[in-house]
Amino acid sequence: MTNIVSIQGLQKRFGKFQALNDVNFTVNAGEVVGFIGPNGAGKSTTIRILLGIIKRDAGNAEIFGKDVWKDSLEIHKRISYVPGDVTLWGNLTGGEMIDLFLKLHGGGDKQKRDELIKRFELDPKKKAKGYSKGNRQKVGLIAALAADSDLYIFDEPTSGLDPLMEAIFQEEVEKIKKSGKSILLSSHILSEVERLADKVVIIRQGEVVETGTLDELRHLTRSTVTLATKGDVAEMAGLKGVFDFNQKDDEATFSVDNQHLDDILVKASKLGVKKFESVPPTLEDLFMRHYEG
Amino acid sequence: MKEKLASWPTLFLLFLKRDWKKIVVWVAGLGLFSAAYVPAFEEITKGQGLKGMFETLQNPAMISMVGPTPVETAADYTLGAMYAHEMLLFCSLFAMVIAALHVVSHTRKEEDHGLLELVRSFQIGRQANSLAAMMEILFINVLLALFIGGVMISFGADTITVEGSFLFGASIGMAGILGAVIALVMAQIMPASSGATGSSLGIIGLLYIIRAGTDVSNADFSMVNPLGWTYLTYPFTDDNWLPLIFALIFSIIMVVLAFTLEGNRDLGAGYLPEREGRDRAKKSLLSVHGLFIKMNKGVMISWLIAFVIMGAAYGSIYGDMQTFLGSNEMMEQMFAQSGVSIEESFTGTIMMVMISLVSILPIVIVNKLFSEERRSRLSQLYATKVTRNQFYWTSIGLAVLAGLAGIFLAAGSLGGTASAAMEDNVTMDVVDFFAAGFNFLPSVFFFIGLAALALGWAPRLGKVVYVYLGYSFAINYFGNILDLPEWFSKTAIQSWQSRMPLEDFNAPSFLTIIVISIALMIIGYLGYHRRDLMEGA
Repeated sequence: MTNIVSIQGLQKRFGKFQALNDVNFTVNAGEVVGFIGPNGAGKSTTIRILLGIIKRDAGNAEIFGKDVWKDSLEIHKRISYVPGDVTLWGNLTGGEMIDLFLKLHGGGDKQKRDELIKRFELDPKKKAKGYSKGNRQKVGLIAALAADSDLYIFDEPTSGLDPLMEAIFQEEVEKIKKSGKSILLSSHILSEVERLADKVVIIRQGEVVETGTLDELRHLTRSTVTLATKGDVAEMAGLKGVFDFNQKDDEATFSVDNQHLDDILVKASKLGVKKFESVPPTLEDLFMRHYEG
Repeated sequence: MKEKLASWPTLFLLFLKRDWKKIVVWVAGLGLFSAAYVPAFEEITKGQGLKGMFETLQNPAMISMVGPTPVETAADYTLGAMYAHEMLLFCSLFAMVIAALHVVSHTRKEEDHGLLELVRSFQIGRQANSLAAMMEILFINVLLALFIGGVMISFGADTITVEGSFLFGASIGMAGILGAVIALVMAQIMPASSGATGSSLGIIGLLYIIRAGTDVSNADFSMVNPLGWTYLTYPFTDDNWLPLIFALIFSIIMVVLAFTLEGNRDLGAGYLPEREGRDRAKKSLLSVHGLFIKMNKGVMISWLIAFVIMGAAYGSIYGDMQTFLGSNEMMEQMFAQSGVSIEESFTGTIMMVMISLVSILPIVIVNKLFSEERRSRLSQLYATKVTRNQFYWTSIGLAVLAGLAGIFLAAGSLGGTASAAMEDNVTMDVVDFFAAGFNFLPSVFFFIGLAALALGWAPRLGKVVYVYLGYSFAINYFGNILDLPEWFSKTAIQSWQSRMPLEDFNAPSFLTIIVISIALMIIGYLGYHRRDLMEGA
């Protein structure tokens, strides 16, 4: 697989504040990468460096094999970007802004534009100063989605959108994904990332602390198991790999290290299983584990 | 290089499309203001007018305000010479200020708002936006220069030559470009757009005051002052194009400097570090008063310092006045006959000028409340037990205090420096200066009242108050030179006050306007406490 985006050892400091310490990750062709982390972790800084808007202090950052600072114009021909807070010139209409952005991008699909305006229920004749936050966001999204790019960079793109519009955005992203384009999606809406992303990059205090597919990440952590047995379920508590054991009557809930799952199932079947439910960790669980622990 | 500037024509055309209304008003307004007074000046030239004006403008006090003339004898002082002498400096100053504001709003302000980030994600060079803004400024000012030249020629006055007219226009156009490049450099250095605007205007103000000093002592020194490169072209007399070449070279250097600075900084960052703030609010911040003072602190302190400098600059000229009278018999006789001293006469005029400028600060403070409202920053506060009443009267109160402090500092600084400069030749004491300054208090109150009225009933018109201030200022300023009809000069609020110390204090007029102003504030409140808030509009 070819790397669309590749970042190694990226560093950036603002005055005394070390915003990025050591950021490494790649986005491969046709891949949707979820980029998550709390506020101030360095997500937007990384994205701005990728866009050539700010200059890195150290490390390497390439898109399409080109340097993001030196060859930014070449790169920008083939990317689309939506910031988390789209600002517009107040005296232009939404329709005008979209056309302008498509022009600046270097050509987009007029038909796609009209279709998206309809789907997102945007009134393109209204001046931008009359738009709400969500409507400004739609302008940015439509302009980005109607452009034909190889890499889409979204920085919390759905902030301010209602759930219906969020769903439409997700559908559109899936379409792009199917056509083999790459997407870097930074978002706080973890269910969105979970649904769309092939790979997740978790950043914390300017460092990437976890990278991998959702499955890989899940494997490293614990599932939540609810078990009811004919025998005494309390016997499960002493097993290796069982944590947070909670018992209520003959039913117990606990977390399980996935590598010990086999032993646990063997033991449970000896006790006689009445009920067994296993819930894989959600992205939210993964996320919380990284930040609370 | 090509890569850095890619797609600038697209942005340039976009600017023109977004700004065309503004450009029309700018070129036509500033152009007519600069060029269309020719017939009015022709009126003055009748009879002994030119000679009298020539002598009057030899006064160092007047030179400090309008600049010097290369003409040495009254006989050579033509209509054209007088027009350039009295108009060019002021028009250049306006052109600089407008261009500086425009450049900051198209560069740093859009950067602060996050617009440039989105624009830069396209195939747009890093500096294409700055170049587009500069090209727009160039376009506007060339247009302005040609328009001014054309309008002046159209009057067909004898001494308003074709070359002189275009030089006059080009000087004003070049002033706009100078203002723009200064602003472009400040936009790179300062950490935010407000700082860029403030420092650009500060530099322009400083250049003006420095040139007042060098013009009076030795006009050659004004040649090293960028502002000097505009009016020292002396249209209609020397017709000297050389200063414009200096200005052009300077502008190119400044643009290169700005581009270099811009190329080496991150979007959204400046070169002056932002200091770390405190982690807890000081007690003084924790009230509506405290918040509003904090919000306006920067602008208040800088304006008040500006008033002190301005007062001191004009005050220092008082020393030269007696020397001037000693060397000019005609003027000496004129002042002897009229029974007022030259110092008193100048004080009356300069005080009007200074207090008009002082009025800007209170208007800024009152208008600030609406700009905060528009940015939806007040909604979180309105949601608490704070009332609109508090917001309104805190703003008005702060504006009144700023007005009082402004007059006090401007008059005190003028009086203090003047007394020191006059040494033993004292014809006025400091109290006279304070009286002359506070005599204009009603006009300051009136502007606060107007701004308050707008805030309450039609907040979008808040900016129009500045226009009226500019208008009144122009009426009074030119009222000294032109013979305006009584009703016409009375449309300016300052005309309702007596000119102290030349005339006696006019108590009824003083009180009436104060009462009217307070009524305006109350009427404004009635509107403010019931109208819809215009958030995000």
